[in-house]
Amino acid sequence: MASRVLVAIRVAATPERAFAVFTEEIATWWQPNGLFQFTPRGPGRLAIEPGSGGRLTETQPDGRVFEIGRITVWKPPSELAFDWRQASFAPAQKTEVRVRFEPAGSETRVTVEHFGWDAIPPEHAARHGFPIDVFLRRHAEWWQALLSSYKSWIIA
Amino acid sequence: MRATAVALDRTLAALADPERRRTVDVLRAGPHRAGDLAKAIGLRGPAMSRHLRVLRESGLVEESHPEFDARVRIYRLRPAPIAELKAWLELTEQLWADELAAFKAHVEGR
Repeated sequence: MASRVLVAIRVAATPERAFAVFTEEIATWWQPNGLFQFTPRGPGRLAIEPGSGGRLTETQPDGRVFEIGRITVWKPPSELAFDWRQASFAPAQKTEVRVRFEPAGSETRVTVEHFGWDAIPPEHAARHGFPIDVFLRRHAEWWQALLSSYKSWIIA
Repeated sequence: MRATAVALDRTLAALADPERRRTVDVLRAGPHRAGDLAKAIGLRGPAMSRHLRVLRESGLVEESHPEFDARVRIYRLRPAPIAELKAWLELTEQLWADELAAFKAHVEGR
């Protein structure tokens, strides 16, 4: 799955607390990132509306609200997923972020997966009636082959 | 950065179509004539031309002519858009690593 980004970290908190802080206090912990802006109007304040179908938004310095995406999975304290669109994305282009909170001893492992349009998460594929395994495997192989052959194109 | 984002969007939009992904697959083996590509993918000429135009505009493929015949078009892959895609994935990974570190510091009260 070359076009899927996966990052994990362990935090000294229960899954319940990690999930609550992640969603309720995102305005505080999220760091504006100059390289990765949602809109050209500069960084704003993030907010998550709780529950499936809730919005992930960024409120701009001028008060305008940009919708980054909708919550697609809301299963406290274990799982959260939302769509992710930046203003520069093409109309058909959508990515999805999944966050898992798993107990690890007295701590919690927080895993973020960011899928591109091409690496469709399983339930998304199911919604559209694709044969999940075959579909995902084909895409994963395609991307692996594409990115690994990148070097050979340069040499060729 | 803005120009890169636009180019990246074009790359992703071009690769969003399964027939264009198959075209890229076939071209990975080496340059092909337009007619041979259409045969390999099972498309009619006009459909193949439309896909090749999108791929050309995205910069994923380039077109050339053999010296002996200017009417013949040969297509090959260009590596730059894939390099940009890789850079975007690396940037996304760095973003989430930074944000999760900030989240950890916050949740642990540091």
